Amino acid sequence: MTQSAATFQTFPSRPPMVPESQRLAGRLLVLVASIVLIGVFVAQALAAADIFALDLGTWRLSLYAYLAWAVALGVAQVLMRGEAGYKALFLLPALLFTIALVIFPTIFGLYIAFSEWNLSSFEGQKFNGLDNLRTLIHDPYFWNALLNMTFYVVSVFFQYALAFGLALLLNADIRARKFFRVAFLLPFMLSPVAVSWMIGKSLMEFRFGPLAALMRHLGWDNPAFFATPWIARFSIIALDAWVWIPFMIIMLLAGLQAIPKDIQEAAKVDGASTWSTFWQITFPLMLPVSVTTIILRIIFQLKLADIVINTTSGGPGGATDTISSFIFREYRDRSNVGYGTMVAEVYLVLIIVFMTVLLNAVGRFMRREAAL
Amino acid sequence: MKTEHYNHIFGINTDRRNLLKGAAGVAALSATSGLGGFSGSALADSKSLRADILKIPGVGKGSPTDADWQKVGEMCLEATKANVKPGEFKGVELSFMGLNNQNLHNMLFRGFLKPWEAYTGAKINWIDLAQADYNARLQQSIATKTVDFDILEMGAPFEGDVCGKGLASVMPDWVKKQIDIDDYSDYLKPPVGTWDGKTYRVTIDGDCHNFNYRTDYFSDADLAKAWKAEGHQGEWGVPKTWQKVNEVTKFLKGKKIKGQDAIGYLDPAKGWGGFGFYFLEDRATAYVKHPDNKAWLFDPENMKPLVNNPGWVRAIQDVIDCLPSEPADQLNADPGTTAFQQFLAGTGSMLSWWGDVGSMANTSDTSVIGNDVAFDILPGSDDVYNYKTNKWEKLASGPNVSPNCAYLGWGVYVMARVDADPVKQKAAWSAAAHLGGKDLSLWMVMYPSGMQVHRNSHSDIAEWVGAGYQKDYITSYLKSQFGSYNHPNRAIEPRIPGIFQYYSVAEDELAKVYAGKMTAQQGADSIAAAWEKLTDQIGREGQLKLYRASIGM
Repeated sequence: MTQSAATFQTFPSRPPMVPESQRLAGRLLVLVASIVLIGVFVAQALAAADIFALDLGTWRLSLYAYLAWAVALGVAQVLMRGEAGYKALFLLPALLFTIALVIFPTIFGLYIAFSEWNLSSFEGQKFNGLDNLRTLIHDPYFWNALLNMTFYVVSVFFQYALAFGLALLLNADIRARKFFRVAFLLPFMLSPVAVSWMIGKSLMEFRFGPLAALMRHLGWDNPAFFATPWIARFSIIALDAWVWIPFMIIMLLAGLQAIPKDIQEAAKVDGASTWSTFWQITFPLMLPVSVTTIILRIIFQLKLADIVINTTSGGPGGATDTISSFIFREYRDRSNVGYGTMVAEVYLVLIIVFMTVLLNAVGRFMRREAAL
Repeated sequence: MKTEHYNHIFGINTDRRNLLKGAAGVAALSATSGLGGFSGSALADSKSLRADILKIPGVGKGSPTDADWQKVGEMCLEATKANVKPGEFKGVELSFMGLNNQNLHNMLFRGFLKPWEAYTGAKINWIDLAQADYNARLQQSIATKTVDFDILEMGAPFEGDVCGKGLASVMPDWVKKQIDIDDYSDYLKPPVGTWDGKTYRVTIDGDCHNFNYRTDYFSDADLAKAWKAEGHQGEWGVPKTWQKVNEVTKFLKGKKIKGQDAIGYLDPAKGWGGFGFYFLEDRATAYVKHPDNKAWLFDPENMKPLVNNPGWVRAIQDVIDCLPSEPADQLNADPGTTAFQQFLAGTGSMLSWWGDVGSMANTSDTSVIGNDVAFDILPGSDDVYNYKTNKWEKLASGPNVSPNCAYLGWGVYVMARVDADPVKQKAAWSAAAHLGGKDLSLWMVMYPSGMQVHRNSHSDIAEWVGAGYQKDYITSYLKSQFGSYNHPNRAIEPRIPGIFQYYSVAEDELAKVYAGKMTAQQGADSIAAAWEKLTDQIGREGQLKLYRASIGM
């Protein structure tokens, strides 16, 4: 016997053995539950496709079968794996929940994306191969919205600069610091829908809005914030920044507070100016937090829809349209489920590719910075 | 007896045939049962009931509350009691899907139906939807075969989606009698509310776009002087054609009235979930709805869109030409803005909209135009495009007028899923009939409810004046409404599946046109191409059949 085998025998890492009969019962339970789940699902699918006449109502029965299967799976884990099964129970609900509400809809979405499905259609859903993809490639609304998205994403960097400045202020020893910290957070607590109404449709209202009145006072005769393409784009960015800059401030402020004070104090003792301290010490130390903040913010930005839908509906002439607001119109106003889903799935792929490339580039940059 | 009183009491059109039928009926009733005196008393009671409910809370006495709605519902319960025994629907549960726009619609229905629930023993569960969610929710229920409601508040444009697919219950005869269905305005009579000859809808609303204008503008001496000085033809006055509307709009640019910038017509250039397209229709119907042709949106032979013919292109061009003379933010103005933030708030002198503007201008706290507003049917056009001859024609009768009967109003529908249970079916129809009752309907169109006049009996000016309205104001308002409904060349909305999809896709193209990204003709061609694609997607043969049926061909 080798030394390692002897050690293994002395300190067994396996949990206590589960009786074979119990393990068998667990396997049987999973098998039965799986057969029931598949059976119910197939029966409902066949009934829904009118292949055989059976009125099973809504898909709720399949949901119940899935829940029953989930419970059976949990019980089987304990039966089959004993102590390790109990541990698995902590993870299993979250995993099954994610499968049900994220992974399954995404895969099911692909099935819908390759079909022509207008809710008003006489024939209902029908497979149409790559037609939706071809339509998307030639759809000027999609490409226009995608172009607008690049503008919105670029604007995140300006929002970051502003947020960094405000975070530095809130980190400094200023009067009523706590009050300002709470005050700056307030917009983030509001729904973007509420902000688009309160600011976009009230403060910036052409006739009665206080902001419009101020602009007139400052010499802008016709302060229409949403009537010309570039002004409308910048107005949307302003509203978006109003909501999301506080989020960036929180992240950056947390980072700033985590920087050891002694480093900055040492720099001061060495005679470094405020600018040098910021540029040579604070900013580099804040890079990891900054990158996280910007990436999270870009992910949020790629989903921009509510403010646009409420204030401009994508206008004037598509100047402020986003992919999400375009999908919203396809779905809600036109009940064009097949094509709308295809746009959503393609956009998901684009986001994943873009974020992967971005994260790789950032990772490389960070490693290079660390090496320096 | 005065003719108008006779008409009002019997609610029929005065022709010799109806008069004789009515007289014979009354004679027969008197001879067989001797109930002539009772009948007179019942009519008097009805008159008294109508006057009594209109005092709740009284025009100009603030907005009605839930207590008022319940009170009105209770007072109007007699018609239900004639057909339903107390507690007859005990144990029946019904679900009602409708809107909660501006805290109206379902909010009122709850109050109206509470006394009905107490009397019949039935219980109603409510599904409240915002306007924006309504279409998607309804379409999903239809497409996924998950209709989970028994009673539905729905607009006639969706009848193709619902009745055309066999999802609605056919109205029993006793309901027709209870709601006095013959009292409906002509344009809301079949084919509206029916499908394949069967009746499905209890109408609770009537819709058309009318022309709202500011009287102070068109009686202003300075503007009249300037109009003459600039060499415009004719006297300064309310435009009767779109050509004049455009001329007035351009003329007013740069002028002042009461120290404020004078503004002409207000075009909503921003989409509104499909509803914005109605406002281009307002301009277009006068150009494209020829009195000799029933069709104006699609060719009834092949479902080819007519939206890119010269008549429609002229309407689009009108908007392009007028926008520079309208407020600077007009590109971002949807119909909600033009009505409530502009016209009622004092900006602009001409607006086409549903009757809500008229019912709010004199009663809403948000309106500043008060009595400086009057109404007319939509303007006409000096010439009309005949798509069959491909020519513009000048009619011997004068300008072509074609009021846009947009949306055809809300109705209450009972779903076919209740048909399997006779008690549930009767309960659902009884609830619908209560909401669509003749007396209750008068209260609804007079007070904030989201509903407009839709019965011939709503045209009795004395009842409106009795409730507190000013005679001139309400005369002008009702004339514009009923003048549109009863116009022989009215443009009726085609009730085909997915009609709002057509409108929505058109809005996207129009937004680009108005923003200067393409010409009127290019925009119209793009709309036509998108509509062709949509028709193929939904099913051309089916659409063609339903379109022809909906315009009475």
